[in-house]
Amino acid sequence: MGMHSMATQFMRVVEAAANADDLTAAMAAVTEQLGFQYFALTHHVDIVAASGSAIRLHNYPVRWADYYDRNALGVSDPVHRASHMTSLGFPWSRMSEMIPMTREDHRVLALGRDQGIGDGFTVPAHVPGEARGSCSFANEAGRPMPVEMLPLAQLAGMFAFEGARRLWAMRGGLQMPPRPVLTDRQRDCVLWVARGKSDWEISHILGVGEETVARHIKQACERYGVNKRTYLVILTLFDGTLTFSDIFRRRYYPFPE
Amino acid sequence: MLHVVQSAARPASDAVLRSMFAARKSVFVDLLKWDVPVLDGRYEIDQFDDVHATYLILAEPDGTHLGSARLLPTTRPHILDSFYAGLCDDAPPRDADTFEITRFCLDRRLTACERRQVRDTLVTALADHALATGIATYSAIAEMGWFQQILAFGWRCMPLGLPRIIDGTMLAALRIEITPETPSLLESGRATAAALRVDRRVAA
Repeated sequence: MGMHSMATQFMRVVEAAANADDLTAAMAAVTEQLGFQYFALTHHVDIVAASGSAIRLHNYPVRWADYYDRNALGVSDPVHRASHMTSLGFPWSRMSEMIPMTREDHRVLALGRDQGIGDGFTVPAHVPGEARGSCSFANEAGRPMPVEMLPLAQLAGMFAFEGARRLWAMRGGLQMPPRPVLTDRQRDCVLWVARGKSDWEISHILGVGEETVARHIKQACERYGVNKRTYLVILTLFDGTLTFSDIFRRRYYPFPE
Repeated sequence: MLHVVQSAARPASDAVLRSMFAARKSVFVDLLKWDVPVLDGRYEIDQFDDVHATYLILAEPDGTHLGSARLLPTTRPHILDSFYAGLCDDAPPRDADTFEITRFCLDRRLTACERRQVRDTLVTALADHALATGIATYSAIAEMGWFQQILAFGWRCMPLGLPRIIDGTMLAALRIEITPETPSLLESGRATAAALRVDRRVAA
């Protein structure tokens, strides 16, 4: 790959990826040009436990992915441990020079070989303050490591991880459910509930019917998806709809002085 | 407080510059073990710290160094073309509107949280300075760990060539595009970092 097409590819990986599918497609193309069959972009956390908040993108065959997930390898995988020792990409065959390999590590790698996972090249990615991660390129057992492409794989891995970071930060934002919003009247009613007033008292304070108060509070509960008033008060305090100073500091003067 | 120091104005900001050269010695010589000259046992100053260099320095009101970067015009000898031309596939970028960022230095006395703030302020200052003075491109050399952080700032970066291992460290050269869009890209970069941060500490 020439310099120009390489730079263009990397820019595409980082910028054009509007969603995980785009990024997967761009990465698959880069991976092939690097002389590998598969890639895996991941944060080094327990993927099952992190359920969607951690970066995880790959085109591994299903049996490889199953194997990784079943063994919860995200955290203890020797490849990931080795990548915490350096910012330089490394071939998996060189791992034993980087970290002490336990019997369990050897077992894990042997299991991987049984699944047909061959040698790979992992580019560590670490942004201070964030979960560590990496971008790995891999081949089936028996395919040669494209040694001359490894410096390019190093760059590709770093750009790819950056692309995934931006995508995942966005996804995190999108995954937040929309916050419930109360009408002013609903909020007034919840405020008086928080101050310990009954529906009858609230109806007199606000000058509306008791049924109206009950309906406002019921609807407010529905917007928050709860069925107890106490819980409604806690949630509105938690998200800032109400504040403690609303409840305790203000006094209600029904007759202006 | 941000100081933009052109060497012609040096006497006026002597304390700020001295504090920066001392911080550079502490970071690049004492911590990172770079083989670079040290003046008077205290200051890291090399042949590029001349009248052509521009410094962006963040300092306390009393001049105490927080963070700094040195900008070298690429139309004169600079680090990429003088020592690391091999990191570029083509000739190193050389243009009146292209400056090389060197000696990006965050003070060692800062806490992790302060470092992030100073770093982000300095990066923003680099973009603002470029837009204010007509710089369209920065070039830079980075070790791999630092390279990943530079990408994470959010601005547009392009590799200038393949990374190479030089004296046991893998280095790569890159080009950073500065356009009117850059400040908002940096802002998105900070938002991304805030969304992915895991080491939030509970305020004591």
